Amino acid sequence: MPQTTIYVAPRLGGAHGSPPPAVDTDGLARLFGRSAALAGVSLRIEAGRTVALLGPNGAGKTTLLRILATAIRPSFGGLFIDGVDALRHPEIIRTRVAYLSHASGMYDDLTASENLRFAATMLGWSGAEVGTVADRAIAEVGLAPVADDRVGTFSAGMRKRLALARLLVARPSLVLLDEPHAALDEDGMALVDRLLGLWHEFGITVVVASHQADRVVRAADATVRLHGGLVAEVSGSGVRAGALAPVIPSYATPLGTIR
Amino acid sequence: MKTRILGFTALVAVAAATVNGLFIVPADLNQGDAQRIMYVHVASAWLAYLSFGVTAMAGIGYLVRRDLRLDAVALAGAEVGVMLTAFAIWGGMMWGRPVWGVFWQWEDPRLTTTALLLALYAGYLLFRRLTDDPHRRAARAAVVGLIAAIDIPIVHFSVIWWRGLHQGPTIGDPSKILNPSAPPLFVLALMSMLAAFTLVWGYLMVRRYQLARTEWEIEEHGRLGRISAARRSFTTESMAEESAP
Amino acid sequence: MSALRRNATIALAIARKDALAELRGRQAVGSTIFFAALVLLLFGFALGPDSRRLAEAAPGLLWLAIVFGGLLTVARLHQMEADDGALEQLALYPVDRRAVYAGKALAGAGAMLLLGGLLLPVVAILYGVPLGAAWLPLAVTVILGSVGFAAVGTAYAGLTVRMRAREVMLPLLMLPIVAPLLLAAVKATVAAVAGDPFGELGAWLQLLAGFDIVMLIAGGATYGFLLED
Repeated sequence: MPQTTIYVAPRLGGAHGSPPPAVDTDGLARLFGRSAALAGVSLRIEAGRTVALLGPNGAGKTTLLRILATAIRPSFGGLFIDGVDALRHPEIIRTRVAYLSHASGMYDDLTASENLRFAATMLGWSGAEVGTVADRAIAEVGLAPVADDRVGTFSAGMRKRLALARLLVARPSLVLLDEPHAALDEDGMALVDRLLGLWHEFGITVVVASHQADRVVRAADATVRLHGGLVAEVSGSGVRAGALAPVIPSYATPLGTIR
Repeated sequence: MKTRILGFTALVAVAAATVNGLFIVPADLNQGDAQRIMYVHVASAWLAYLSFGVTAMAGIGYLVRRDLRLDAVALAGAEVGVMLTAFAIWGGMMWGRPVWGVFWQWEDPRLTTTALLLALYAGYLLFRRLTDDPHRRAARAAVVGLIAAIDIPIVHFSVIWWRGLHQGPTIGDPSKILNPSAPPLFVLALMSMLAAFTLVWGYLMVRRYQLARTEWEIEEHGRLGRISAARRSFTTESMAEESAP
Repeated sequence: MSALRRNATIALAIARKDALAELRGRQAVGSTIFFAALVLLLFGFALGPDSRRLAEAAPGLLWLAIVFGGLLTVARLHQMEADDGALEQLALYPVDRRAVYAGKALAGAGAMLLLGGLLLPVVAILYGVPLGAAWLPLAVTVILGSVGFAAVGTAYAGLTVRMRAREVMLPLLMLPIVAPLLLAAVKATVAAVAGDPFGELGAWLQLLAGFDIVMLIAGGATYGFLLED
């Protein structure tokens, strides 16, 4: 098997001294209509760690990952990624984070190859490298035979592999995975496990939420268990949870602060 | 307290200007008493434009600072503006019936522009109602308010040229009072009504803003309450687990 | 690579992607054009059969059909992003959002240009309006009208794509905004077809160009705020 190519984002702030925590959140909360998907998550994740994010449905795993990816803003709380204020400078964060969401995010009418070439261009590659990088990524996830087929004809598992291929075209320091094992067969899941190992080897921080709890816990340095929008338990090394701090409203309400 | 003084002053000013406009100032030679409508029609139209300008500016302010108070100002401007615009159209139609013989005339650029203004900002208000999340709503509304505002000058020129690029003002032009050769008494009546309306406008804006802020604070308190409820049920659950054998 | 070149590359990549997807999913593009042509046919039934009256109304009917077809077009260009969650990925790429806007607006303008171009002969046939001699000013009018509509349409489609009742929200917001565009395009078309007897054509084209520039700037400046969820 040829060597898989992993691209890593450059370190921020020089090569000396220990790097800032990859993820540093303070009381992250997010409301959707009447329900609180996150009710105050304070976590500090050291750089280079692989963290398994566990918890039942509705615990807030997807919401947390989306906030870390800067796809949505938190209703309350603060977030720093690699030492950068994600709420003030999301555009910097987006150059360093790769996010695998539930949906594969592909264009059905384009081929796998065209989708990846488009992604490569958007992720900063140019010229001849666009094609090279895209083709290599497609080959590494085992989709080379169907590279010129329209994604509309793909099964769910093939779409997931293509989305994984897109991660390989990015240059992240932080990879966020929301149910990477879903819809994959045994080969596909083995591919995900292999990638987890490779990202860890290259010092990329990974936060992965998966129902395949055993597989991710085995691959991870630490485990964070969410429940009801809050951190229920943290185990392993490289991750610390903060105490529940009072939620500060956007502007002080005369009706008092909530604790 | 200060707001009440403003409101009271506004009321007095409007009453005085109304008495002046209806009974003291003489009627127009050509248009008769119908011309008196212009005092309120022009005043409300101008203040509507001002309101929408405020909405646009406050929207930009929100996008820059993400402060929801600015969104409250934008909402106030839009609601007060829509009210004034509707009033201006109604006034225009009431004036048009005796003077032109019809309620509506496509050739009058002011009437068509004002009608479009109403459509734009009534749409803005309707559109606001479809988003629940306050920050998302504020951002989207800011974009709509801004684009609507910059459309207005384009509309203005397009409807004026619509009548014909080389035509002068027609007879029965409502803006006769704005003519430099208009009788000074008429101009004075208009100015005093404008000043009175501006006071009313200021009062309505302040009140609507205060109302929006209170609505928001209640909403925010509810949101914070939901978060602490989630935390409480979490702690109760873990305490129950700990104490169970 | 300089920032400008990078943005241009991004915009072109997006426009190209949209064009590819549009042409491949050819049902949608063809259906929209067919719908607009049907609208023109129906106007004939609504306002006819006096052919002189129809010929006089033709420019207005043409642009109404373009506007209705345009609403479907810009909505479709954003709907393709929402279908598989591609919009979220698009919002997360490390690119200047103005370039994303430029790409989508370019694709929208191109689609509308195609629509307008195909409707011109339909109008010529259905309403008996001779368009051949005035093809150049007509082409310019259709180009300026398409760019203007796409400029606002892209912004508003991006705004409404994730909203409730988006099918009605997009027209509700768009129609008052494009009223001056409609007005100017129709007047320009009338002037062009008649051979510009009053010398108005230039003024109307300038108004259209002004609309285009203003809306492109506003759209580009605000699109980034709309991509954020």
